[in-house]
Amino acid sequence: MSGSTVGDAATWSHALVKISPYTFSAIGIAVAIGVSVLGAAWGIYITGSSLIGAAIKAPRITSKNLISVIFCEAVAIYGVIVAIILQTKLESVPASKIYAAESLRAGYAIFASGIIAGFANLVCGLCVGIIGSSCALSDAQNSSLFVKILVIEIFGSALGLFGVIVGIIMSAQASWPSKAV
Amino acid sequence: MSSTFSGDETAPFFGFLGAAAALVFSCMGAAYGTAKSGVGVASMGVMRPELVMKSIVPVVMAGVLGIYGLIIAVIISTGINPKAKSYYLFDGYAHLSSGLACGLAGLSAGMAIGIVGDAGVRYGLLPVLSLFLLIWLVAMVDTVIGLLQVKCSLLLCCKEIHLHSNLKVIKIAGPLQQRLLSQFTKHLLEFNIFFSYCFRMNCVEPEPQ
Repeated sequence: MSGSTVGDAATWSHALVKISPYTFSAIGIAVAIGVSVLGAAWGIYITGSSLIGAAIKAPRITSKNLISVIFCEAVAIYGVIVAIILQTKLESVPASKIYAAESLRAGYAIFASGIIAGFANLVCGLCVGIIGSSCALSDAQNSSLFVKILVIEIFGSALGLFGVIVGIIMSAQASWPSKAV
Repeated sequence: MSSTFSGDETAPFFGFLGAAAALVFSCMGAAYGTAKSGVGVASMGVMRPELVMKSIVPVVMAGVLGIYGLIIAVIISTGINPKAKSYYLFDGYAHLSSGLACGLAGLSAGMAIGIVGDAGVRYGLLPVLSLFLLIWLVAMVDTVIGLLQVKCSLLLCCKEIHLHSNLKVIKIAGPLQQRLLSQFTKHLLEFNIFFSYCFRMNCVEPEPQ
């Protein structure tokens, strides 16, 4: 149409630039904690139901296998930590600067950071839950297997840590413009 | 107004989403691989407890996928800095596609590791079959990971795009050749390690029942 080479291709940008960065930030913070807790709960119910069922015939496994439940709970705590860190990154900017490039970028950084932490913790909780349930079942058969399957569970719980690390690194990019109008 | 709107201020949205995709999908693949292989190992361990520690190989490989996603996500997110270097829409889309390439390749590799690892360790009672499956697993994973690394490095190395000149110069950096060479040696080393590992595992004598 006119001289600009990218003006017509930027239809996504035309829509995105009208959305306030605070919308994206709020959604990111909510996803960080909400989806993490979803993952933790999912893992706990998978582990817990297998554990309780297996403990009918082998009551000795209950106290040791609570470690699997604690690993799942840690995933929820990661989500809480990331959400608290992200909400301290929110600052108020003067109304003239809400749609400036720098504040848009800060909003997107918080959004992506929250999504990363949330969904990484979701899959981590699922993974730890599934392995925890098979750990309980195999421990009921043969008690020497507990520590060996626990090693696999530790590999699984590292995935939640990856999400937290990247979320925190990315939230350092969330710098809003200064208040001087 | 619309003729001067370039949309570059929304480019970080796609960039950050690319970093997110890299990590989230790789973690999905790693989780699937870890969980499915872990279930197979636990099932097999009830019958043959001495083979459990040898069968952790698929779990470790699935965990490595998560690390690859982490690396690419950190590289992408630290590359989004409009104050240091202007960040056009092109850069945003390039980072998005790079992150998606890394993440979706990691997801598929993780699912492959999970399914093959589960089947491989369950049939560990047949040494020949498990050896074949392990080698196939290694070859497949290395191919996928090699592809995703090359693709990511290609996309991220497209540094110089001159939008306002007639001649669009895309400079693919020299480190690409170095990266390919280091990948080849890495594959050789991994194959060596895994071949020796597989043969050792093959030599386990069944206990007299």
